[in-house]
Amino acid sequence: MACGTCNCNSPEIENLFMPKEALITETKWMTKDTKHFVLKWADGSKVSHQPGQIVEASLFGFGEIPLGFATSPTQENSFELVIRQVGRVSTALCKLEAGDTMLIRAPLGKGFPLDELRGEKVMIIAGGLGIVPTRSLINYITDRRDEFKSFTLFYGARNPSELLFKEDLVKWRSSKDVHYFETVDGCCEEDNWKGNTGVITTLFKQAEVTPDTKVIICGPPIMYRFVMMELYKCNVPHENVYVDLERRMKCGVGKCGHCQINDKYVCIDGPVFKYSELDSKEEAL
Amino acid sequence: MAVRVAYFDFTCCEGCQIEMTNFGDAAFLELLNHVEVVEFREAMSEKTTEPIDIAFIEGSFSRESDRKRLEEIRERASIVIAYGACAATGGINALKNHQGDYKKAVYGKDSEMPHLDSMCARGVDAAIKVDYKIHGCPMDKNEFVRVVSHLLHGKEPVIPDYPVCVECKQNETVCRYQLGDHCLGQVARAGCGAPCPADGIPCEACRGFVSNPNEEALEKVLIENGGLSAERAKYKSRMFAANHRSDAVKE
Amino acid sequence: MSVKFIKETDFNDFVGKMMEARTVVGPVAKKTKFVFGELESVDQLRLDYDVTILPPKKLFFPPRQDLLKFHGQKGTSCICPQPKVLFGVHYYDIKAIDQTDFLFNENNADQNYLANREATTIIGTTIQNVSPRAFFGSVGKNVNPKGHDGFLTRINGGWVFETLTSKGRDLLDFGKFIDADDAQKAEAAKVNTEEKTKSPEKIKAEGDVVAQKVRKSFSEDELWEEFAKDCFSCGSCNIVCPTCYCFDVQDNWNVDQHSGARTRSWDGCLKADFAECSLGQGACENFRETKGSRFRHRIMRKAVYSNEKLGGPACVGCGRCSLSCTADIADPVNVINRIVEG
Ligand code: SF4
Ligand code: SF4
Ligand code: FES
Repeated sequence: MACGTCNCNSPEIENLFMPKEALITETKWMTKDTKHFVLKWADGSKVSHQPGQIVEASLFGFGEIPLGFATSPTQENSFELVIRQVGRVSTALCKLEAGDTMLIRAPLGKGFPLDELRGEKVMIIAGGLGIVPTRSLINYITDRRDEFKSFTLFYGARNPSELLFKEDLVKWRSSKDVHYFETVDGCCEEDNWKGNTGVITTLFKQAEVTPDTKVIICGPPIMYRFVMMELYKCNVPHENVYVDLERRMKCGVGKCGHCQINDKYVCIDGPVFKYSELDSKEEAL
Repeated sequence: MAVRVAYFDFTCCEGCQIEMTNFGDAAFLELLNHVEVVEFREAMSEKTTEPIDIAFIEGSFSRESDRKRLEEIRERASIVIAYGACAATGGINALKNHQGDYKKAVYGKDSEMPHLDSMCARGVDAAIKVDYKIHGCPMDKNEFVRVVSHLLHGKEPVIPDYPVCVECKQNETVCRYQLGDHCLGQVARAGCGAPCPADGIPCEACRGFVSNPNEEALEKVLIENGGLSAERAKYKSRMFAANHRSDAVKE
Repeated sequence: MSVKFIKETDFNDFVGKMMEARTVVGPVAKKTKFVFGELESVDQLRLDYDVTILPPKKLFFPPRQDLLKFHGQKGTSCICPQPKVLFGVHYYDIKAIDQTDFLFNENNADQNYLANREATTIIGTTIQNVSPRAFFGSVGKNVNPKGHDGFLTRINGGWVFETLTSKGRDLLDFGKFIDADDAQKAEAAKVNTEEKTKSPEKIKAEGDVVAQKVRKSFSEDELWEEFAKDCFSCGSCNIVCPTCYCFDVQDNWNVDQHSGARTRSWDGCLKADFAECSLGQGACENFRETKGSRFRHRIMRKAVYSNEKLGGPACVGCGRCSLSCTADIADPVNVINRIVEG
């Protein structure tokens, strides 16, 4: 479409930055600052992403932010996003309700390496908001459980009220498809928490992790270092470890340079990286 | 419902307020469709005690007796914005913080009169919590409109925190240093669009410093490349950034 | 395609005719320096310039560029290329344009750049005067410029004009060109070979040795902090660089508070908050927190990181960063030589 503000007659040129409209069908506050959205493409198209891929979600006037898909493509007609109010864009997006439109560019980046995970023992370690993008893989695995040898999931949150996807947790706790372990850093009496307390690495005492396990880590930067130390004790080589670094993007299409870690671009080479392929952990984690 | 805004002034030349009434152009008038000005000393006479959505404060905090008035404003206002260099940083008023004899120099034999008593000049955030600052002497009208526009949408305004050099380079202005002059652009907070160097005048950092100014390097560069004497280089940035310098007087 | 000759006395007439028919952007004087600007008269053209303050990337990738305009939540694209002739580009800048052509195209084609680029005819020219900090002769020697449509070489009595594409050949219509003879061609070839030896500064090792040694120096934090001690984090070295292309994107409303634009503007990895992101609950993380780590990132980006995909270093040796750094620490020659010499 011509730009409408000058006399140019440029034919329809595809603009990388043009978002698509997605209709919000349901919303729910998961914690006091974190909101869950169920969406479908306004043009009726089916979901086409890979687990671990990302979206740039936006509202005109406020800007864009990168988010991970919270759902697996095995769910075809809708997708879910989780947004925590932390900045300009996320605060504006969290004001949206069912019936509103969200603007989205997706799918972006490379997701989890499903081919390398199939037929293997898979373990996911998710801290805090890290459960959101990894849920796209968790759901994928539980939907196609027979394609994977074993599946272990560690999930840690700061306190019980910050645990996300509470309905999923109930399922996972009793499911035979996943060895599920959870912990909170701390809790108070009203929480009535009966589970494990302590940082996520305390869960290593409860589960057996063999060196041939493929491990996926997603969480706050500080978590990686401690988890890596535990994995080292379990003799898991760096080639078997994948990290999901999605928090550092701007344009999402490999141009703006903001996500660059050494010679890698998180937005197109990642957000999921093999740990052994990141040369400077200093810039990455 | 229109957003209720009010303007207040403290120790300053009131130039920013005048600047605002001078806007007179389409941009500002259009903005008035979205706000209701309930108090504006320079332009209208009615005053209110009602709650305000946005309070714009001009002028520095330089007399203890102003504290109460500032606190009252804070109480009434959901958002407080310090606009103009004086309110944002103490501005040029803070020059006196480093001078013991200014009263005599300025007021001569009247200098002992009690109403001339004042303390160090500081930004209004020395007395109350300030939500946002619109820097500059005078503040930049485009930035003012942008900040207000963001606030009208409930969006936290974007206030630049990088040096003026960025804007000079983007404007392709010939650097003062390449013309044998000096400049403070390397440590001065951008956002003004760098009009001074474009007009052939060094940047005086009227918007104060960026958050992490390299003061040591500035002094060195002012001497080695800018041709200033060691003495001048040392104090050069006091004009507008006295309260941002590492030798700022705290009390 | 063809090699032509035009007499010195016919040259201005050629430029004048071209300007009547086309928008021509070329080097013009600004105070004591030069910039690429739209020509209004023939005598503004200064093909004897040494280097421009900003590289010609600004024509395709302006300092501020609207990516989308919006009305409420409806967006419209604003890709709107204007045909231009970019006249008188030095070979190091053509090499830089080749890089940005590649980078804006790879993986995801960005028409906000590419459409402007496509609409532009680029004519290169000999370097008649050399910038005092240039070192183009000692970087990326095996990489030749390729994205231009024609090249003008000044020789005795006139100019040899080599056309390389049909866009370049179209300009022949504007001047009294004749076929260049062998002597003229040989003279032009000599001029263009010699100009590469004229840059005053020199990197003292070949690109692959530089890449290897600079990469190895990554973990020498103290060295990088020392290099960056006087850094103002002003990003000037990024902004003037022909091969830097990072940007920030911001949305702003127009005064009607309903319509507005999503705009990108040049950013720089030396700016303090470039790699900062918020983690929520007031916390933020800066992945290149120190001046040294940011300084290192630029040098790595210029000498190491993209060599493989670009076929040589990203730095083309224009020397703009050295000229624009008021602390005079940005010069890649000083940094790289210090590292390669140990
Ligand atoms: S131009 Fe110089 S002072 Fe400015 S960011 Fe670059 S290296 Fe630092
Ligand atoms: S790094 Fe410096 S010398 Fe190299 S291309 Fe960029 S501006 Fe020119
Ligand atoms: S987010 Fe822009 S390059 Fe990756």
